Amino acid sequence: MEATKKNVLSSFSISSSKIKEAAIVLLFIVMFILASVFVDDFFNSSNIINLVRQISFLAIIGLGQFFVILIGGIDMSVGSTVGLVSIVLANLMSVHQYPIFVAIIIVLLLALFIGFVNGLISVYGHVTPFIATLITMIIIKGVNYLYSNGIPISGLPSEFNFLGAGYVGPIPFPIIVLVVIGILCYVLTTNMKVGRSFYAVGGNLEASKLSGINVNKIRIYAFMLSSFLAGVGAILITSRTMSGQPAIGESMLFDIITIVVLGGTSLTGGRGKVVGVIFAALILGIIDNVMVLKGIDAYWQQVVKGVILAIVVLIDSHSKKNS
Amino acid sequence: MSDLNNNMDKRTPLVELKNVSKSFPGVKALENVSFTIYPGECLALAGENGAGKSTLSKIILGIYTPTEGKILIQGKDETDSYHIKDAQNYGLNAVHQELQLVPELTGYENIFLGNFEAKAGFIGKKKMKAKAREVLAFLEMTINLNCPVKNLRMAEQQIIQLAKALVLESKLIIMDELTAVLQEKDIQNIYRIVNILKERKISIIYISHRLDEIFEVCDTYTVLVDGKMTGNGYVKDINKDQLIEKIIGRELTQVFPHKNFVETDEVVLKVNNLTSPVFKDIHITLRKGEILGIAGLVGAGKTELLNAIFGNHPTHSGTIEVHGKNVSIKSPLDAIKHGIGLVPDERKALGLAMNFDIKTNMTLASLNEFSNIFMQKKKERAISLENADRLNLKYSNLDQYVVNLSGGNQQKVVIAKWLIADSEILMFDEPTRGIDIGAKSEIYKLITDLALAGKSIIIVSPELEELIGLCHKVHIMFEGKIDKSVQGDAITQENIINSLLGESS
Repeated sequence: MEATKKNVLSSFSISSSKIKEAAIVLLFIVMFILASVFVDDFFNSSNIINLVRQISFLAIIGLGQFFVILIGGIDMSVGSTVGLVSIVLANLMSVHQYPIFVAIIIVLLLALFIGFVNGLISVYGHVTPFIATLITMIIIKGVNYLYSNGIPISGLPSEFNFLGAGYVGPIPFPIIVLVVIGILCYVLTTNMKVGRSFYAVGGNLEASKLSGINVNKIRIYAFMLSSFLAGVGAILITSRTMSGQPAIGESMLFDIITIVVLGGTSLTGGRGKVVGVIFAALILGIIDNVMVLKGIDAYWQQVVKGVILAIVVLIDSHSKKNS
Repeated sequence: MSDLNNNMDKRTPLVELKNVSKSFPGVKALENVSFTIYPGECLALAGENGAGKSTLSKIILGIYTPTEGKILIQGKDETDSYHIKDAQNYGLNAVHQELQLVPELTGYENIFLGNFEAKAGFIGKKKMKAKAREVLAFLEMTINLNCPVKNLRMAEQQIIQLAKALVLESKLIIMDELTAVLQEKDIQNIYRIVNILKERKISIIYISHRLDEIFEVCDTYTVLVDGKMTGNGYVKDINKDQLIEKIIGRELTQVFPHKNFVETDEVVLKVNNLTSPVFKDIHITLRKGEILGIAGLVGAGKTELLNAIFGNHPTHSGTIEVHGKNVSIKSPLDAIKHGIGLVPDERKALGLAMNFDIKTNMTLASLNEFSNIFMQKKKERAISLENADRLNLKYSNLDQYVVNLSGGNQQKVVIAKWLIADSEILMFDEPTRGIDIGAKSEIYKLITDLALAGKSIIIVSPELEELIGLCHKVHIMFEGKIDKSVQGDAITQENIINSLLGESS
């Protein structure tokens, strides 16, 4: 093993990618410390727990989007899917009196089906994911309004509220769901064949195909995972608000994509970490939380989010250029 | 050291580098290199990958600034402030194998990219087209300048790139590995153009790994080894073996290992009447330990044939038998299950995942072997290490991204992938494309050793020398059919070339 020129340069590139991964965690730590120091009422357990619970829904749905972006696609339909799951769930429980457990299973299957359709259109229809999922987004949005007439559905069984608003000890249930899903996604990406296949397909579709990976199957899985997690998020949100709302996911779409990109996931596919997405969600959570505590206009949140995204993306492309 | 100095050249060199060094953090790319090129001279810049050829070119083009040394252009000392614009003003340009054209724009728009002749903001289309046609006439080429360049053949796109350099009234053109992606008749065309340019006193720095080309068309040569200049002189004063020796710094007694085929009747792969939109009625019989070559011009259907056997190209009739049993191969996964592996011609685009490290690329075709609900990372690492050693891979650690390996080593990673997948039948599509002579010879030895170890091999290559040097049998394809087959001593340049052009007896 000789140390050729290229080997010296390569050790630089390994450390620069580790720096990139650490960057988002570092940013979170810095912001956390700044907020704790400069913002009254930030650093106490109830505020922090509140913060994490606020972003948990976003983070869960974001993890789904992560997989689609990882394979080099994008899922524009998650927002509408959240709405559809929400109103169908509410309807099944209130109007049709289905047991909570059964209603949940049904809507999760529905979410999986939506993901499957997204995958089919994209992979076998040879439609670019952006357009394929835009199509389903539009159709589902229409369905949402037809189904609910635009009116929130209430009358949900009170036990259902536990999922979104309940606690296990001091910890809100949604946070527990996030932690469990986070761990599962982490294990999937680092230790399982399907996870590795996502990275392979996203990194080089043709080379993956020529290595015997069933690229069509893998891509469809990614879409199904995205819609599934959108469904999980929708269930928790519906539980929290105790009403099925058709429009509930629509405003989330851009935040979802933001946390995936902010978390270091490459839009061209093949690179990204589960941990990054979660910390990106936490960063957004800190921004929102600080703004509220300081009484700053909500619209400023948009500006700040945009600026942070710009900074991280610039750092990311600069480091890519040097590697 | 310089044999050229004996000539007492009274002409002013176009470009002269005196004792130039270039360092990057941790790396000395060029060390004390002195280099001269005269107007109208075609100079071969030779050296292994990583020797410093590209760094030298970039210094001449003003892209890099030397850490030490002087740059003189047309006798003037430009050392203090020499940048891209200065090089362009002097007419120093380059044409690379990786084209820098905008695919959607037309030929003449690409030729004038950045130099649109404008009158009060309007692009002078008529003038541009006229000048473009003038340049093409000078090169004695006819190319459609009005269609998007993506619709032109590779060779034509290169001519457009060349025309771009000429329209800027170039005095020096660096031709960087142009011929690596061209077929025979287009390569002859490049030689013709080089001679036209020489007559016009335009200098050429010719970079190519195909050493025969240097002897065809270059006047002088300069060899770089590890950033140092180890030799230069007139091409007529040296022969190919001596040149190879200078490039790799040692004597290369044999580029090709001794051919060895243990006669056997064991047929490992049989292709019967295979037909697809691109080829017809292909018959192949491949025995254990045999190295079969497939020759043919671009468009003959060679790559498609390999891909068909690999399940990546649709066929509509014909059968494939592995070990005497008829098999259905409809996808690469099927092929892999039957022990077939393919090392594709474009390793970066098709053979490797650039976002992965060495070990992950090596195990990419065997994920099931390393997965027992969870990935068995220790096993992965151990087997990757074993194969890296077996193939004599030059790397710093298994977690290194493959993008940082040299071409030859990247190719070894792809080969390792198929060894780990236990492929019995290995197909190579242009195994040494873009790989320098030292690494080439390693790959040849590897292929020969694999055959001796019982693997059966098919090689597709445009380099006849390779097929002649390695193969026990060669099929020559012409327009989708196997025109002729030669075996043993009958594998000669003459026999193959006639068939390539469809002129078999």
